[in-house]
Amino acid sequence: MSHFEQTKPAPGTRHDVWLGLGFAIPIIVIMGGLVFVPLASTLWDSLFRIDPMRPGTPFVGLQNYAGFLTDPAIRQGWYNTFVYVVLAVILETVGGLGAALLLSRIKYGRRWLLAALVLPWCLPPVVNAIAWLWIYNPSYGLLNGALHAMGLIDQNIVWFNSRSTALFLVTVVHVWRMMPLTAIILLAALQSIPQDLYEAAKLDGAGPIKCFRMITLPLIAGGLAIALSQSTVFALNLFDEAWVLAGPSLDTRTVIIQVYMSAFQNLHFSQGMALSVLTMIVSLIISALYVMRVYRETSYD
Amino acid sequence: MKRRQFLTTASALGATLALPAFSKRAAASTTVSVLLPPWSTLPKDMADRFTSQTGFGLDNQTLGWDDIHAKIVTSMVAKTAPADATEVDWSWVGQFGAAEWYQPLDGKIDAGLIADLPTAKIFTFDGKLMALPYNNDFRILIYNRAHLQQAGVKDAPKTPDELLDAARKIKAAKVIDYPIGLPFSATEGASTAWYLLTKAFGGDLFDDKFEPLFVSPDSAGYKAMAFQMQALKEGLIDPASTGLKDVDIQELFKAGKITFDIAGWAGNIAVYSDASKSKVAKDVAAALMPSTTGKSRTFGLPGAVGIPASAKNPEAALAFAKWMLQPENQIESYLTLGNLPTRTSVLEKLNADGKLYEGDKLLQQAAVVEPLFAQGTPGWYPQFSSAVATALNQAAKGQATVDQAVKQIADGAKAAQQ
Amino acid sequence: MARINLNRICARLGLTAAVILLLIWSLGPIYWSLVTSLTAPNEMMTGTPHLWPPHVTLEHYGKLFGASSQSQGNEVQSVWPQFSAALLNSVITSAAATVVTVLMAAFGAYAFVRLRFPGRDTIFMLVVATMAVPAYTVMIPLYRLMISINLIDTYLGITLIYVSAFLPLALWLMRSVYRSLPISLEEAAWLDGAGRTYTLVRIVLPLAAPGLIASAILTFLSAWGQFMVPLVFSPSLATKPLTVLIPEFVTRNYVDYGLMNAAGVIAIVPPVILVAFLNRYLVRGLMAGAGK
Repeated sequence: MSHFEQTKPAPGTRHDVWLGLGFAIPIIVIMGGLVFVPLASTLWDSLFRIDPMRPGTPFVGLQNYAGFLTDPAIRQGWYNTFVYVVLAVILETVGGLGAALLLSRIKYGRRWLLAALVLPWCLPPVVNAIAWLWIYNPSYGLLNGALHAMGLIDQNIVWFNSRSTALFLVTVVHVWRMMPLTAIILLAALQSIPQDLYEAAKLDGAGPIKCFRMITLPLIAGGLAIALSQSTVFALNLFDEAWVLAGPSLDTRTVIIQVYMSAFQNLHFSQGMALSVLTMIVSLIISALYVMRVYRETSYD
Repeated sequence: MKRRQFLTTASALGATLALPAFSKRAAASTTVSVLLPPWSTLPKDMADRFTSQTGFGLDNQTLGWDDIHAKIVTSMVAKTAPADATEVDWSWVGQFGAAEWYQPLDGKIDAGLIADLPTAKIFTFDGKLMALPYNNDFRILIYNRAHLQQAGVKDAPKTPDELLDAARKIKAAKVIDYPIGLPFSATEGASTAWYLLTKAFGGDLFDDKFEPLFVSPDSAGYKAMAFQMQALKEGLIDPASTGLKDVDIQELFKAGKITFDIAGWAGNIAVYSDASKSKVAKDVAAALMPSTTGKSRTFGLPGAVGIPASAKNPEAALAFAKWMLQPENQIESYLTLGNLPTRTSVLEKLNADGKLYEGDKLLQQAAVVEPLFAQGTPGWYPQFSSAVATALNQAAKGQATVDQAVKQIADGAKAAQQ
Repeated sequence: MARINLNRICARLGLTAAVILLLIWSLGPIYWSLVTSLTAPNEMMTGTPHLWPPHVTLEHYGKLFGASSQSQGNEVQSVWPQFSAALLNSVITSAAATVVTVLMAAFGAYAFVRLRFPGRDTIFMLVVATMAVPAYTVMIPLYRLMISINLIDTYLGITLIYVSAFLPLALWLMRSVYRSLPISLEEAAWLDGAGRTYTLVRIVLPLAAPGLIASAILTFLSAWGQFMVPLVFSPSLATKPLTVLIPEFVTRNYVDYGLMNAAGVIAIVPPVILVAFLNRYLVRGLMAGAGK
């Protein structure tokens, strides 16, 4: 034993440090160069006017931010984003919880059911949007066709004419994709609840609803919080679905579509950067709120 | 001695004849990529003919018109060319010219050809020719004669009010549910239709100092939009038009589902009259743009092909541009795709041969074509036009009144001009 | 006795109904897309939906793979060169992003867990914190950066961007995998005289294989489905992926939904294969990744 200790150095701290740094440096370079530096650049450059079509980049202070409160297009974008977030989170959580409860009760073929459940999440969002765009088509789409066949409508409805149905239908496509993620998070949480709690409750004569309220809900609170924060962040970043389904139409325009349009269609880079900074702050605040709640909840455990 | 001389001469001759074949085969390995809108997706035999005539392969990429602009902008800002040759629309000349994104073509094009192209001056920026026009689009009223007959309307409408009346009669006679075809999606087709109607109501968009002229209720632009909304309200336009572009309206006309293609493209009459492509080939007719002043007005929206500054195969791209302007190709492009030839000599020949569909009406209308901006298209036009389309889209959905929409457009104009 | 049986039957029926509902909801639109891609154009325009096309046709797939295509009544050049280029781009960028990300995560996470170096925990926290930063916040300066170093429209540029986006999650996953492995195995190897790297490669990685597979699947799926990034950073067919090409078909033609759905069906083949065969790893990866 001591023979080996003398001939080969045990993995020592100095060797560790170089090796560790060696593994970590590529990560630091990539993340630093492609995330942190651009992030700092966004914050700094949003204070200038940067427009590739115009010469010079003068300092304009907070002027890029000032326009946001007055520009009706951007206000509409915020409103739309808010609606998406609220609707998406509610639908995904309720649907995801239902799917998770269902899956936790299935014994046979759970693997295949899981595969089917997860599939919408794995597909490119753009392809989903195109499939649903065809379903929503006023003249030949499945939605109108099915409703017609069921006798619920007698005339084809142009769904994207009305702001509320447009927002709702875009949300449906987004929820279709994101619900599996919520379902899986909640399923994992459900599976961590010990079965004997339920048995004890049944012995005490509790019905299924009481079991749910008293045992299930509190014990999946952590998973619920994670699912809620994930849903919110993804809904805040909704781009692909709204863009393919309705393009630049103001009804369904989210804040990040506005960022894309300002920066890459109208080439007002600094305006786009200012808007994205604002959105990032909102997103971070919401994430922080959730994280704090989770810490509070789990600290009770 | 004689035989040897003969053999040497023969082999030398053979070699000289074979040489071009070798060079063409070497050149055929170069493929020129071309980014054009749907109405320039060349039929396969045209593409094959291009390859056999010039030795270059052709990669014909098609993208919706509205998306081509965004694509060119994003690419050129990043200093990469989206293709070796791209569409250059009349409305982009101000913006692209100021940014110097396209190679000047002066000196590379024969002066006689330029003289044969009256629309070439629209594509000149700062004295340099940026692109070669190949599509001589201007607008004319295209309608379905049979529908008018069935509803008992005798003549084509000459004023906007007559147009509404005719449409009402057609709808009441249950000939067609939605007689008027106008796009209302947030795309350029919606904007240009409104500009056209503004001219029909006897007015213009801006004055010399680019101040908006469409905000007050008695202005032509306001009345034009009110006309459109009135038609929508009365059910003369399909409510699904809020999701339709101009190319969709054209498909509806070909299918016989609408009577009036108001912002009809002059060249499209050829395609509408082609029985293999259109169900209403026998009933297509054209009339001068209706006008409240009695004098018809319309404007031109020519399309051209240009070579971006950082294109990888500029010689092949130039060969393509020149090839598009050859008479036989201009004629075939007209007959199969509806692109009205830009060369005066070709137009005259077509008309003389009787192959110019509705030729007299076309020539009559062509005589009164104006540019939309007499001073040249400003660089802020694309952003302005996009604001117009958004406002029209909202008004058509009932989410904005005409007052609100015109004010939105005026604000958009001011924002774009900054 | 009979009443309990009735209850059980009702419960069974309810469960089955719920399962069927879930299947229709999850798989219905995909099935409908497949049906549309096999339906002839004139039957598509009828407005009455059929559960299975009356006449199955492969013409839309023919347009994608064939020698010629159709546009506005004219026979035009085939779409295949562009489609195949986009397909190849999708495969290359997704595969490159996956390989690089998983490699960096496999080695990097090990460093963050088992090796000690200054700033270890802070760096890890910072890297994982970038998951809260939305992509578009950095997109514009990233765009200008890429322009200045001439990496727009290159495989290298796109791969780097994808790696920076997907590395945090992969690192988090691999770190939790490594932490769950007992250190005694590695200690045994060290006592036998093995170096750190050797231990990592020969002993730890094989044990961490499920985590590696899960990271690879998650990264591949995310890269395959990317839209906004290549929309900006891949303007030409040199690197344009399928996700950007397919919506362009929307703008090309009027209601060529058959072609679009056919292209969409092909675009979802890799994800479907992954889900069908590697579902277990995927779900485990998702669950572990969610445990933040």
